[in-house]
Amino acid sequence: MADLSVNLFHNMLKNPVMNASGTLGYGVEIEPLWKVETMGAYVTKGLSLMPHQGNPTPRVWEVRWGMINSIGLQNIGVEAFFRDYMPFFEQKNMPVIVNFFGFTEDEYIQCAKNIVPHRLIIGLEMNLSCPNIKAGGISFGKEPEAVRRLIDRVKSSTNIPVIAKLTPEVDNIADIAQAAYEGGADGLTLINTLPGACIDTHERAFKIRGGMSGPSLKPVAIKAIYECRKRVPIPIIGAGGIMDYEDCLSFFMAGATAIQVGTATFVDPFAIPKIIQDLGDFLDKNGWDSVIDLIGAACT
Amino acid sequence: MDDIEAKIITNRNIVKDYFLLRLRLARPLGTVVPGQFVMLKIPGNTVFLRRPFSIYDYKRDVMSIMYKVKGSGTLALSNAVKGDSTMVLGPLGRGFNIYNKPNHIVVAGGIGIAGVHLLIKKIKANAHVFYGCTDEKELLLLNDLKMQDKYISTIDGSYGYKGNVIDLFRTRLKDYNARDTQVYACGPEGMLKGLKHALESHRAPCQVLVEERMACGLGLCFGCVKKTLDEKEPYKRVCKEGPVFNLWQICL
Ligand SMILES: Cc1cc2nc3c(=O)[nH]c(=O)nc-3n(C[C@H](O)[C@H](O)[C@H](O)COP(=O)(O)OP(=O)(O)OC[C@H]3O[C@@H](n4cnc5c(N)ncnc54)[C@H](O)[C@@H]3O)c2cc1C
Ligand SMILES: Cc1cc2nc3c(=O)[nH]c(=O)nc-3n(C[C@H](O)[C@H](O)[C@H](O)COP(=O)(O)O)c2cc1C
Ligand code: FES
Repeated sequence: MADLSVNLFHNMLKNPVMNASGTLGYGVEIEPLWKVETMGAYVTKGLSLMPHQGNPTPRVWEVRWGMINSIGLQNIGVEAFFRDYMPFFEQKNMPVIVNFFGFTEDEYIQCAKNIVPHRLIIGLEMNLSCPNIKAGGISFGKEPEAVRRLIDRVKSSTNIPVIAKLTPEVDNIADIAQAAYEGGADGLTLINTLPGACIDTHERAFKIRGGMSGPSLKPVAIKAIYECRKRVPIPIIGAGGIMDYEDCLSFFMAGATAIQVGTATFVDPFAIPKIIQDLGDFLDKNGWDSVIDLIGAACT
Repeated sequence: MDDIEAKIITNRNIVKDYFLLRLRLARPLGTVVPGQFVMLKIPGNTVFLRRPFSIYDYKRDVMSIMYKVKGSGTLALSNAVKGDSTMVLGPLGRGFNIYNKPNHIVVAGGIGIAGVHLLIKKIKANAHVFYGCTDEKELLLLNDLKMQDKYISTIDGSYGYKGNVIDLFRTRLKDYNARDTQVYACGPEGMLKGLKHALESHRAPCQVLVEERMACGLGLCFGCVKKTLDEKEPYKRVCKEGPVFNLWQICL
């Protein structure tokens, strides 16, 4: 049996597959179908300092080879998450990555401070696609200097490894990755959804404006991973349009150490356990000893 | 709850845009509560996300849904034929609570009948059904349903009361004492609004099945919410906390 385990920030994960933030609820909802501990780690829904009610409907819309969502970051807040859901992961001894966001720099800092170090929390994933309400709503992740400063401040308020999750809607994503690294980021998650919209031609109106996800995103993610890996020496977690284990192979070969599966779970609720199973079978069949050997295999 | 492979037995056009799809499942569905739904994969590979449909009927490994062609997904579904393969995820959500009351009133409009069909089957001896549709032809949607009392309205007046089902319901409401009555409803948002208005002073308890666009059907994405009067967390997931809600707790 090939070895699926990977090391992330000095934690051994039993496999390199996680859910993408916001696509596996609070972790408990999937349990009637499969156990969350099937994955290497669970990534929380985006959490904020205070609870957040989110956007009115419609919040989801199908597009060709993908979907657009405008959930608006509905969540119960960090405090309630720790109270109501952390015991569930403790009981399973399950590594957790906490995805969090803020609408101001101070909210990010306060939120990071409120996440008390815990043996199972292996990283804080900062959602940098969030609009900065003090800067006219432009997202935090678009300007290298803003990214460097914000990550630097977050780093000085927590001892937990910090993962910067980047938006693909930028000029040069490697410049942003570089800024995140200089600010002290311990890792990157690439990529978040790509902003998009669709129009109802009968109504002559927008149906939805939001973030696009699903298979149409995969080439954007692969390019981002490849370019950032060349620029910065920190581990990359890949996300964007992964539907099956073959997609994963591309992500590893482009340089990802671990991957996240999002939208695929909506299409097939068993996508994640299938990917883990198929990845192991593939390595066995093709004589690879470890998934680690695949990482960056296409980058020379 | 399970994700089950299925094959189409029949996909029959009932009338106009309405179809009845019968599926043979590889395994039986678990226990089904009327009002629960499934996420159905649309056969073929042109439609990406699954679509939610109420469980219209089921017996061991045969399940059926009744649907109306609305957009690309249901159009593709209407073109599927006997033998086509699909997947059925369910049963999902919280269905109707059937309380022990003398009067059970069911109000449905159009394709809304699909959401209350199993319920009516279960409480048939006590069911007072108010059904509204466009014209006499659509009464075929009532199919084989047995019920105690049936009140029909058609928009064009070709059968029964001429007008919408809520106006018909209003004419009968005084016959029912709020304490002895439980109302169940499924239909377009406009009908539910009208119902809320009609019951404003009567205040009979009322459970409604609501619809919203979905991605996962499992409570994972928070895409399918309905706004409620809960101040702490107003948006509730239709697929998880619903699709049946207390009429007096949701914003319409
Ligand atoms: C719990 C639940 C049970 C349902 N049961 C049934 C049923 O038994 N029979 C039936 O015919 N339909 C049912 N629906 C509605 C059905 O899911 C939609 O009509 C279908 O998804 C439309 O898909 P489409 O691709 O054809 O339409 P699209 O092209 O996606 O949209 C066409 C139109 O349908 C509306 N629509 C799309 N999705 C939904 C949705 N999920 N709910 C309501 N309106 C929607 C859109 O706003 C648009 O106006 C149910 C919905 C829910 C949430
Ligand atoms: C419904 C939905 C909710 C999401 N919520 C979040 C979130 O709260 N925080 C975040 O950083 N990313 C969020 N994302 C982005 C995903 O984590 C992921 O980066 C993106 O969807 C690309 O992966 P995919 O194509 O596999 O879905 C969300 C995506 C979807 C579809
Ligand atoms: S459809 Fe995803 S939470 Fe309801």
